[in-house]
Amino acid sequence: MRSPNLVVGAAMLALVVGAAIFAPQIAPHSPIDQAFTDQLRPPSPPHLFGTDEFGRDIFSRVLYGARIALVIGVLADGIALALGVVLGVVSGYFGGRVDAVVMRSVDVLLAFPYLLLAMVVVTILGPSLINAMIAIGIVYTPQFARLVRAAVLAIKEQEFVEAAGAVGAGVARVLGRHILPNILSPIIVMATLTVGFTIVETAGLSFLGLGASPPTPEWGSMLATGRSFMLTAPWIATFPGLAILVTVVGFNLMGDGLRDLLDPRLRGRG
Amino acid sequence: MRRAVGRLVPLLLVVVMVPVGLWGVAQAQAPKTLVIAIGADQTGLDPQTVENNESGFIMSTIYDSIVNYKPGSSLVGPGLAEKWEVSPDGLVYTFHFRHGVRFHDGTPMNARTVAQDVDRAINPQNPCYVLARKGVDTYDDFTYGSVKDGSVVKMDVLSDDTLRFTLPTPNAPFLSSVAMIWQGIVSPAATKQYNCDAGQHPVGTGPFKFVEAVRADHVTVDANPEYWGGRPKVDRIIFQVVPESATRMLKLERNEAQILADVPPSDYPRVTGNGALKLYQQPGLTILGVALSNEAGPFKDKRVRQAMNYAVDKDAINKGLYGGATTASQGMPPVLWGYNKSVAPYPYDAAKAQALLKEAGFPSGFTADMMVYGNPRGYNPVGGAKLGEAVQGYLQKVGINVKITQYEWGAYLDKIRHTPWEGFAISGWSGDNGDPDNFLGDLFEWDTAAGKARTNNNSRHHNPEYDRLMVQGRQVADQARRAQIYEQANKILHDDAPWIFMNHTNQVRAARATVRGFLLNPLQMFFHMEQVSLQ
Repeated sequence: MRSPNLVVGAAMLALVVGAAIFAPQIAPHSPIDQAFTDQLRPPSPPHLFGTDEFGRDIFSRVLYGARIALVIGVLADGIALALGVVLGVVSGYFGGRVDAVVMRSVDVLLAFPYLLLAMVVVTILGPSLINAMIAIGIVYTPQFARLVRAAVLAIKEQEFVEAAGAVGAGVARVLGRHILPNILSPIIVMATLTVGFTIVETAGLSFLGLGASPPTPEWGSMLATGRSFMLTAPWIATFPGLAILVTVVGFNLMGDGLRDLLDPRLRGRG
Repeated sequence: MRRAVGRLVPLLLVVVMVPVGLWGVAQAQAPKTLVIAIGADQTGLDPQTVENNESGFIMSTIYDSIVNYKPGSSLVGPGLAEKWEVSPDGLVYTFHFRHGVRFHDGTPMNARTVAQDVDRAINPQNPCYVLARKGVDTYDDFTYGSVKDGSVVKMDVLSDDTLRFTLPTPNAPFLSSVAMIWQGIVSPAATKQYNCDAGQHPVGTGPFKFVEAVRADHVTVDANPEYWGGRPKVDRIIFQVVPESATRMLKLERNEAQILADVPPSDYPRVTGNGALKLYQQPGLTILGVALSNEAGPFKDKRVRQAMNYAVDKDAINKGLYGGATTASQGMPPVLWGYNKSVAPYPYDAAKAQALLKEAGFPSGFTADMMVYGNPRGYNPVGGAKLGEAVQGYLQKVGINVKITQYEWGAYLDKIRHTPWEGFAISGWSGDNGDPDNFLGDLFEWDTAAGKARTNNNSRHHNPEYDRLMVQGRQVADQARRAQIYEQANKILHDDAPWIFMNHTNQVRAARATVRGFLLNPLQMFFHMEQVSLQ
């Protein structure tokens, strides 16, 4: 097999994506219906993952939680990607003072721990899932910007790019036709790897009460609730925790696999 | 052979004597230390400058008030004053103090030293005047009135052991308020020594003396062998700060703590199922509900407020989340006199709620904000966020879409007290002095003179008839007559439905079975800890 990582990662993600898409068909209960007669039940056939303190079915909540995790994680990643590519390309291609200003700003952002920076942004915007997504998008922008800038710097010195310039191609054409297509593979790998992190960070913000608001079945806030029941009802925190694990490991394995596949330096080995 | 045995004798003696001797030492010296786990740190230990339970827990072992609450009750009994008289018109209170009591720093306790401490509550000329200090929470104006609105009491030292207070108008709750831990008497020498701020160097007359306070970790107090109420039966109490409820529980189970100040309802079975532990429960002097913005949005209409009360299955939530709290129907708990027994809680009736909403012009419901806080409170052991989520689930069924925003406790108080918020807000109260006015007046009265809601009237409830009863209740001295007034007020309140009336939680604490003589108190403080022993 060329890349077992890719296959295993893709299989794990298929599971999560499947859960997200078919949640309404698979879930035996509504994710937000409370039942004060059915609280804190351990896993059993009617409630595969048990119930929480409001008597809600954790299996159903974990399934619906996949929708939120994927949508928010991918969108946050998309925000970071879009901003990062623009900044990186501008910085790398034009160089000089523009480069200095952009890169120093990026350095400042990188100096903060991710979660702390995200908390600052959420505090400014106000706590909500959408704002948590925006915050995390902003926090991961510098990584993309740096990667893209480095790639652009390497490519723009190549002869075919210089040649394109020499025959009179404009900036847009050089960037769009010659530079961007050639730096696509590291961006794809980075984007895939980053989704895992954005999902964890979103869960982290919700865990701290700065993301999803109740009764949204979000994995991070489910973990936060379950924390105080670790001794009496460990299933409340365990299953959303496992869901985060599967998703993040899935994205990481797939990212690694894609790198093996797309990086020319690694090609032909193994 | 003989010689050998002879030489062995002293060795044998030593071997036998060492453990015996150690046992003797252990008997003589083993200090009896009681560890009480609390969920948050104290914010200061000067009674007149704090208003939070954790500070109160610790202060109730260090201080006495002029009068104290009787063990296990909210009725007033002797404190530093052995006896007292109230004039028939309810205006003059004369207190006679004990002889031979000293503060922990040696300062004699008498009418003069007590007056010196009370002076900083009532005299703006006092360099340590508490009401002028920034950043402190105080009950001084609540108890003694304030110079600003002419409600302040007049204080006269009649002799070394007699102190007299003269009130400008009758204020029936006065005696109960003087007994609060927030009016504990501090050594005036300490206040002077620490420049008006003895908050981290507390000196009182109580059963325990302050030893040390380590921020966010613990506070240690040692037995005061000269305590006028008898020497404490344990030598030392350590209040240990343990924020995680699961960790607190483990500490109790491992005997690293002997008493837990807060127990989440989901842990009750864990305590009752363990023979080495004991669960203490007492009907709480508390109320919990969801305040509705009576002056803003759909809740201006009384029918909408009543509909909210019908829409929520309070019994189910009280059983499921609160481990069996008493469902509320009015503005104060049934353990207090003045409670109206003929007023029953709003039953759970979603159809009725929808009918009322339709009548009020909201046939398809509406969307509203709800403010919540996360931390547990004495009147809400699971915290505001969980109650909010439970209520949200029920309201959704009658078409009310609730958007929940959670705030940190300090920000929450600021928001609910000082901004014109609209929608729902989790609200609750623990009684301060065991008087109905401390619930009905504080929580639901309109300050007619100032033209605005009183500080803790969060729902901005405003009903002139109700306000008239509140004023009357403070002016009448006879308790039976006052009870009638408050029963009437409670009926009005039930009908006005300023809150979704949720429950009165039990006061619950857990302790090791080896703890003896421990009594709960409706005011939730650790009063009379001198009577507690460890077996």
